[in-house]
Amino acid sequence: MSTASPASVERGASLRLGLPGFAAALLRALIPIAIALVVGAILLAVTGWDPISVYRLMAQEAFGDWAAWQGTLAAATPLLFCGLATAIAFRAGAFNVGVDGSFVLGGLAAAWLGAELTGLSGWLLIPLCMIAAAIVGGLWSLPAALLRTRLGVDEVVSTLMLNYVAIGLASWIVNSLLLANGSANSASDPIAPQAQLPTIGSQATMTIGLVIALVAIVLFALWSTRSSSGFELRLAGLNPRFAEATGIDVLKVLGGAMVVSGLVGGLGGGVHALGVVHRFVDGFSPGYGFTGIAVALLARNGAWGLIPAAVLFGALASAGATVQLISAIPLDIVDVLQGTITILAAAQLVGLWRRRKAAA
Amino acid sequence: MHALVGENGAGKTTLMRMLFGLDRPTEGTVVLDDAPVALASPADAAARGIGMVHQEFKLVDELTALENLVLGREPMRRGRIDWAAAREQARELARESGAGLDWDRPVAELPVEARQRLEILRLLHRRADVLILDEPTAVLGPAQVDDLLELLRGLRDRGRTIVFISHKLREVLQLADTVSVLRGGRLVETLPAAAADRDTLVTLMVGERPPVVSLAHQRAAAPAHSPAPALAAQSLGLVDRDGRRRLDDVDLTVRPGEIVGLAGVAGNGQDELVETLVGLRRPTSGTVAIDGRDVTARSVAGRRRAGLGFIPADRRGEGLAIDSSVADNAIAGLHRSDRVARGGWLKPGARERVAQAIVDAYQVRCASLKLAAGRLSGGNQQRLIMGRELAREPRLLIVSQPTRGVDVKGAAYIHGQLLALRERGVGVLLISEELDELAALSDRVVVIAGGRIAGEVAGPAPDLNAVGALMTAAPSGLKEAA
Amino acid sequence: MNQILSSAALAATPLILAAMGGLINRRGGIVNIALEGKMLLGAVFAVLVSASTGSWVLGMVAAGVAGLVGGAVFTFCVTRLGANEILAGLGFNTLAAGLIGYALKDRGTYDPSGISVPPQLHLPLIADIPVLGPIVSDKDPVTYLTWLLVPLLAWALVRTRAGLRLRAAGASQDVAHALGLRGLAIRDASTLVAGLLAGLGGGQLALALVGLFNTGMVAGRGFIAMAAFYFGRARPLPTAIGCALFALFDAIQIRLQQDGVPTQLVSTIPYLVVVGVLAFAALSARRPAKEATA
Repeated sequence: MSTASPASVERGASLRLGLPGFAAALLRALIPIAIALVVGAILLAVTGWDPISVYRLMAQEAFGDWAAWQGTLAAATPLLFCGLATAIAFRAGAFNVGVDGSFVLGGLAAAWLGAELTGLSGWLLIPLCMIAAAIVGGLWSLPAALLRTRLGVDEVVSTLMLNYVAIGLASWIVNSLLLANGSANSASDPIAPQAQLPTIGSQATMTIGLVIALVAIVLFALWSTRSSSGFELRLAGLNPRFAEATGIDVLKVLGGAMVVSGLVGGLGGGVHALGVVHRFVDGFSPGYGFTGIAVALLARNGAWGLIPAAVLFGALASAGATVQLISAIPLDIVDVLQGTITILAAAQLVGLWRRRKAAA
Repeated sequence: MHALVGENGAGKTTLMRMLFGLDRPTEGTVVLDDAPVALASPADAAARGIGMVHQEFKLVDELTALENLVLGREPMRRGRIDWAAAREQARELARESGAGLDWDRPVAELPVEARQRLEILRLLHRRADVLILDEPTAVLGPAQVDDLLELLRGLRDRGRTIVFISHKLREVLQLADTVSVLRGGRLVETLPAAAADRDTLVTLMVGERPPVVSLAHQRAAAPAHSPAPALAAQSLGLVDRDGRRRLDDVDLTVRPGEIVGLAGVAGNGQDELVETLVGLRRPTSGTVAIDGRDVTARSVAGRRRAGLGFIPADRRGEGLAIDSSVADNAIAGLHRSDRVARGGWLKPGARERVAQAIVDAYQVRCASLKLAAGRLSGGNQQRLIMGRELAREPRLLIVSQPTRGVDVKGAAYIHGQLLALRERGVGVLLISEELDELAALSDRVVVIAGGRIAGEVAGPAPDLNAVGALMTAAPSGLKEAA
Repeated sequence: MNQILSSAALAATPLILAAMGGLINRRGGIVNIALEGKMLLGAVFAVLVSASTGSWVLGMVAAGVAGLVGGAVFTFCVTRLGANEILAGLGFNTLAAGLIGYALKDRGTYDPSGISVPPQLHLPLIADIPVLGPIVSDKDPVTYLTWLLVPLLAWALVRTRAGLRLRAAGASQDVAHALGLRGLAIRDASTLVAGLLAGLGGGQLALALVGLFNTGMVAGRGFIAMAAFYFGRARPLPTAIGCALFALFDAIQIRLQQDGVPTQLVSTIPYLVVVGVLAFAALSARRPAKEATA
């Protein structure tokens, strides 16, 4: 395929706008959000809702008070992981859209270990589960990575397909091997109490998982700016020809990035299993992987941008769920917003007017 | 039949593009049949009966010859393409011009001379009266050249006008009625072919130059530091994926403290040679050794470790990461070396320090190290690249088109740097289309033509006429003009 | 066994339709990953219109139009807004699913009364032929039309001016421009047609195969169709065979489910087959290259 690399979203608008990088990045992120909100508003208006009051309600449910904030942050946690995982792969120029699969299988592994090894103390059990989750997630992305680096098989299709395989696999496992005794619906045994992630704050869903996510992002930021391999990653994604000429093994970087992407996704699944769900269930991931793509795009694959982007989508999810209970506005409005943002964030809106003038 | 000759960069292709509507002249007009015309686009030119065969054929590889022939002017019948009529038209054209083709094979499978014939026939299909051909014999072997010249003669005899650009002076003299020589963007002279000979043409092309002062001569070469040559390539051969031979038994040696210039008409194998030497491509046969060590099996990284430095011709695509900062570009390649990193982590501040050192040492003018490299001027970009490559202290530097798009002052600086390298005992392979540059810097000039080494002209101040003669020697079946 | 073949032949239709659309788009130079979303749109509109008008024909028309509109939006985003076609495609799928889910008010399944489904045509003599019979007979008109579409498309790509220019423009925009072809218009058209066909595929899936609309009903078929035309190198006949293959595995896994083999595990078979096929195709493409350089 000859489509542009997903790393190309990082191309600086600052080059064309003459703004400092930070301001340009902010602008590029805000435009898709603004347009998406307008689209959402139209949709609401057409179906008989008042957009302003709906948005106000959502803002309140997301950011109104400390309890609302916690809900938002808790919802943002899996998105931080998935966004980070996607961003790492995108940076290297790899279209890994299979983060969902790693997330799900990682969560399964963590939930299983957490329920099995009841004898271990929390201090030992939790890290063990996390590591297992990460490893499983990484292993899951290995086949696609190998297919890409050894055979040149396009990773978009392969990771997409493997997503479905992962979900099916996990679903089967939870419905047969790990089915909780006496449980009618597809759920595994609950994890041991000491495996549950400690909470911070007043809500049960607000756990140290958030802290782990933030730490991961900080590590990523440090690694990508301060390490030799992070340096190579950036070059390989943006300018593969140059990287090759400089002596960087672009394919190896790509494959490695995909595996790390899987590791992070798996870790996110583990956090979600131990922190929020406390077991593994069918429908473990309501599309976190795909939302992660939107997060990564908004953040332009940059570490710091991931945080506000994930918070935004977390807010949408959390507020949307509450709003749905209150006013029967379907949660799908969030998908509408997310899809619009993804499309627009993938577009090169900046410089559009300049290019049109040039073409005229 | 009008031939256009001149060295690389003299303006021949640009002129032809204007005749064909691909570029617009800033001054002057194109006159067709005594009426001035403004050609807005290739379609416009085609409508007026002008057709062009480019050096890179405008053929769709996946389609068959017949499909390519009629593309855009398909004969229709009842809303569908009338392939029977198309075939008849093809046959008619083939008969008229005496050239046959295998119409049903995909273009990708056709040999080069067949593709060229297809391009010409397509022009005829579109009723072109004026045919422009850019380096038509560059890709052909001797027997095929004869066939082509037959074809062209026939077309000319039937009233068509042919303008062709060529470096192969022997063919030019055999075929053309008139020859125009361009140099440095100007028309130097137009003369009937009968009144010209090889030497006259070469002199006109290369020009009455004051003898080039060989800078190399002025600075003594350092005694070799090591007995091993900086570069030793033996029997390099390359056949590309389409089965075409790009390099044929190339032997090339560069000694430490020597600048070897590589001259040749663009497209004769220089790019492929550079790629095989640097490690971006695997040769199909032969070996490459850097600093005495066999690196044939090594990747680019491995060759760099063996002492290779590389300044590519494609500055913005391969020489720099144009979206990344100056600092990042400065340490690219060094990012794992002890100077910049330890244990896989970049030493804090090392990037800025090393980058600043390079910027200072090589006088790269940039407002800040954080500026995107793409925003530097051509000359400054080249300095940055140079600084980066030389910071690794290579034993062999392969540099391609170093002063392309660089201002005079910057060019002088770069030349000085190359000579300084020479004094320090580094071996330099200089590939350039600027004959003056080669003459000033090279200890000797090797000429590549048709994928093989055509010969060598010794320095200092190599005789450019001899170089030009080697470059334009056609390995063809035409007998030497008596 | 007969039943498996029969349901496979029926289930192949939406795949083939979407794959033909994707193939046309690919020939025009765009990788359309949003086939999934367009199928979804087609499905929901088919059910909607079919139920409200009582005519499955109108339902199918609506499905096609819905896909067409989706295609228009998609090509606008990719060619005019310069969006990366993969990312925009993924976003489009999410958007389409969101819009539909929103309209359905979270009901998940939309099963209106009065829905009209296309009839299954029983072909008397043919139905009795051993293997061929179950495959060919008792299918809805859309399926039969789709079977005609495949060779028609193969013919059109070669024999019509549109087909030739499509292939040329997709293979090399540079050459197309040099020859005066309107590359942009060609790409737009190919995306619109892809949307139309994918929409029809979704419509057939909803009306002929399932009989209602469910938000999860497309289940990756759009992506499988994409894999099919990858595998078929964007040629109609091999692509259709690929679709038939996947449909066969799909039918097999449904049957296995009925026999008690675990549902979820078996449902992964088609997707695994896709990956396997891609790997195999890549392997076989490599080998001749290796031989050439030897």
